[in-house]
Amino acid sequence: MAAVDQRLLWTIGAATAVTIVTIAVIIGRDPLHQDLAVALAPPSMLFPLGTDHLGRDVFARLFHALPRSIGIATSAMAAAVTIGTLVGLAAAVSNRLVDAAMMRLTDLALAFPGLLLAMVLAGLMGGGMLPVLVGIALGQWPQFARMTRSVAAAAMTEAHVEASRLAGLAGWRILLRQVMPRVLIHTASLAALGVGGAVLTISSLGFLGLGLQPPTPEWGAMITELLPYMDVAPVQIAAPCVALFVTVLTCMIAGRRLAEAI
Amino acid sequence: MQRAVRHAVPRAVLRRVLEALSVALILATICFALLHAIPGDMALRIAVGQLGTENMSPAAVEQIRDAEMLSRPLLVQYFDWLKAVATGDIGRSFVSGRPVAEELRQAGGYTLRLAVIAWLLSYALALPLGIAAGLKPDGAIDRATAFAAAAFSSLPTFLIGIALISIFVLALNLLPPAGYRRPEHLVLPAITLALGLMAPSMRVIRDAVAEVQASAYMTYAHVRGFGKAKAFIRHGLRNASVPIVTFAALQFAYLMDGFFVVETLFNFPGIGNAMVSALLARDVPVVMGCALLIGTTFAAISLAADLICMWMDPRLVDEGHGSR
Amino acid sequence: MRAILRVCDLSVRDQKGTLLVEAVSFAIPQAGAVVLIGETGSGKSLVAQAVLGLVPEGLSVQGRIEFDGRTVELSDRAALRQYWANHLALVPQEPRAALDPTMRVLPQITGLAKQAHAHQAMTSLSLRASVGRQYPFMLSGGMAQRVLVAGALTTQAPVVIADEPTKGLDDDRVEETVSRIRQLLDHGRAVLAITHDIRVARGLGGHIGVMRAGRMLEQGPVEEVILAPRHAYTRAWLDADPDRWPRRTAQRIAEPVLHAQKLTYAVGDRRLFQDLSLTLLRGSITAITGPSGCGKTMLGNVLLGLARPHAGTVRWCDGTDPHRVRRPALRARFQKLHQDPASAFMPGRVLRRQLEDLKPVLPFGCLARDLPPLLDRLAVQPSLLERRPDEVSGGELQRIAIARILLFKPYCLVADEPTSRLDPLVQREVTELLRTLVDEQDMSLVLTSHDKRLVRAVAHDVIDLQ
Repeated sequence: MAAVDQRLLWTIGAATAVTIVTIAVIIGRDPLHQDLAVALAPPSMLFPLGTDHLGRDVFARLFHALPRSIGIATSAMAAAVTIGTLVGLAAAVSNRLVDAAMMRLTDLALAFPGLLLAMVLAGLMGGGMLPVLVGIALGQWPQFARMTRSVAAAAMTEAHVEASRLAGLAGWRILLRQVMPRVLIHTASLAALGVGGAVLTISSLGFLGLGLQPPTPEWGAMITELLPYMDVAPVQIAAPCVALFVTVLTCMIAGRRLAEAI
Repeated sequence: MQRAVRHAVPRAVLRRVLEALSVALILATICFALLHAIPGDMALRIAVGQLGTENMSPAAVEQIRDAEMLSRPLLVQYFDWLKAVATGDIGRSFVSGRPVAEELRQAGGYTLRLAVIAWLLSYALALPLGIAAGLKPDGAIDRATAFAAAAFSSLPTFLIGIALISIFVLALNLLPPAGYRRPEHLVLPAITLALGLMAPSMRVIRDAVAEVQASAYMTYAHVRGFGKAKAFIRHGLRNASVPIVTFAALQFAYLMDGFFVVETLFNFPGIGNAMVSALLARDVPVVMGCALLIGTTFAAISLAADLICMWMDPRLVDEGHGSR
Repeated sequence: MRAILRVCDLSVRDQKGTLLVEAVSFAIPQAGAVVLIGETGSGKSLVAQAVLGLVPEGLSVQGRIEFDGRTVELSDRAALRQYWANHLALVPQEPRAALDPTMRVLPQITGLAKQAHAHQAMTSLSLRASVGRQYPFMLSGGMAQRVLVAGALTTQAPVVIADEPTKGLDDDRVEETVSRIRQLLDHGRAVLAITHDIRVARGLGGHIGVMRAGRMLEQGPVEEVILAPRHAYTRAWLDADPDRWPRRTAQRIAEPVLHAQKLTYAVGDRRLFQDLSLTLLRGSITAITGPSGCGKTMLGNVLLGLARPHAGTVRWCDGTDPHRVRRPALRARFQKLHQDPASAFMPGRVLRRQLEDLKPVLPFGCLARDLPPLLDRLAVQPSLLERRPDEVSGGELQRIAIARILLFKPYCLVADEPTSRLDPLVQREVTELLRTLVDEQDMSLVLTSHDKRLVRAVAHDVIDLQ
């Protein structure tokens, strides 16, 4: 027991130290500062991951892109979860007609291929954070609605909910205390997977030139920009690739762990 | 039973057709709304598209405004435009000035070719691996494929493509990098798409096979003297196919996402590429044509999957619904 | 009589080495029957699985079987496999799950035999030829079982193992199932039946083995064991049969708690019940009985105001109709005891918290005042309340559920198949408890059950939904 605690402490300590150092290093580095004199410079003490074709610091760009991507992905997912949960719960507690109508709507929304909606929105509205966010949220809410409805409907037929209804407890109390926890467990795992998927979508949009617009640092866009210099700048292009892979894999593993815990 | 079949199949067809129509209508409406919402003068944009920047004149712009009747109320324009779309006339590209339908026909042909090859390739890889993993859950193959699947599903398609390019084009110099002139040009895009598709389908196949293997009817077949292989062929394949086919249709969505990226990366002249360039150029008629084509194809494939599942699993006919 | 299959010193251990079945031996005579009987967890099913070589992964088996003079070690699963179909046939536990849902019936029961053979087997069980062309999901449970018996007949196997043939069956189907299995005996096959139902043993005759906690308590010819059980447990088991319960004398107080008039409820085109009128009296037990799917639970829910009838009215004792009033004043006085106690509590939440959740609907101070004596009355350790539902046994959980209901001082309690998942001994205990509570609390008990014998033993009034 004590050994485990110590290891945990060490891990937390090390993680904190790394974070502090990273933040300290990043602050004071401008991801947008161009200097053509050092364009495509290899990694060095000054530029740990080298510079891109405009002489910008890849390291700084990489770490400035991280919170932005994660931020957009989580906000999009939060929006999708909110809409999906509300629609799903409403369908689960409503009469058959409303339920059927809502589920038809969800089916319809599911009939759109995933990236298409985000692409059309972001593309025609000229990229930027909001269209990307809205596009992803619009593509993701139906699965949460569907899941919420089926989990909530199943939970509401359970004997413990019936027992509370017979005791005369108010409907909202039952929904909050006995139905929502069940829904939330399922939501958590789906949302973790969804954040990973959203990070992928953001980078794909960036790669296609339809997402966040330059010069905003974004992994997918960084990769596109450096693609012509693949043979002279391998580190610069590998860095965002690895960052992307690790981020998405972390979300996926977290999602799967949560799913297994159900 | 006979009655159930007679009712269930048309009902599934009707449902999917309605779905396809609604998808098309919604997409069309979004496109129309965006078309008029993007800043700038519509007539000016069309004029630039058709005549080029050099030949522009205020007179030409006014002429186009009259010809396209852009000064009418929006709602009238919307319904007229819908009417035209319904008859298959999506309009002309702002960029090339050619009819959209014509452009899409060509690009669609290329994409279809790529899709079929990538699809077949992915299942050629996923089926043997998935079945092998499912026959021995928690065995060595199962664990290895689980790991590979997790890694591949965390990789964006363009990274797989870039990796393949750097190996086969830059390092080994085996294959041509981009464009489409010879059949060799299909190899890398197809492999890229197939690898992306394979990861999730392998897991679905594995789960389906493992579930069937653990079922009561499988044990019963064993006890009745059927060997492992014989029982699997007799009872396993058909039962495991139902979730697999359902998933294969849903995967068309993944394939769609893949097209945009892969065709752009390899500069392959398909629908995905056409759509991305149209989006970048704000060429709304082409965007809409692509979206309509993709949306309706998606619904058509879902319908095909429903019908195949009904044919394979008679219970679905009785319940009157197919996949999803 | 010559034994066709002899099981010697069969033991099963789990991974930790705990004995689950301990040195069980018995012999199956040619064309005779052996019935292994015992409660859940007695190890009777493991015996059948071990003989077939189908024990779940991780369990280890010792012992041997003698088959026509040849001896096979039970630890050698590959060797046991050689005996499948040719020497051993199985009639599996859940008939419909054992059939491939995507394959028509006839090719499935034909198996490796000739099709003419399968036709013959079906005819001998009076299954029409059209059944062979159907898919398993189109068959009823009983029909599917007949198909599986026919499947056993198409093999050459002299020994057929029937695993829990009456599990989950309605009361009046038990006889039918037993006679179906007897047909196997008529065809010269020997039968090993695994069951928890004493009626299977009575119906099949032959030998009976009583198992408990992995041991064979006693075995012998059925008549001898039933007439003169040597073991106290066997005696208790036999006494738990509702047919042997003492009848109760009616002592009614003619005070009605509920009137229902001309109730009709339909699912699709099917009427579950029509124009049904009834009155529930305090201190009386009303039973609703009928085959599964006949609407017993639904009728209970209609009386409680949980499900709206398509026609007719329900009136509680204060004159309100629970289907018309949004929040009836007597809501909590009309309660329900659920079939599965585990699902009647929220998983993962400490039981005491779950009782405290009821504070908003209980009179002030009621929980602190009434709960301790209730728990005492129901013999529930108060410390059990500090646990989560999955950390408490089924019987204890059922009593805590009863305590929760009694907090509301109910006028009427609908008990929905309260004992159908319990072993006979516990079944008797719970039913006795409910019976005394009716007298003590002066409430009206509505008991839904498919077990006609149970109903006969306890109810004052019986509503039979056919």
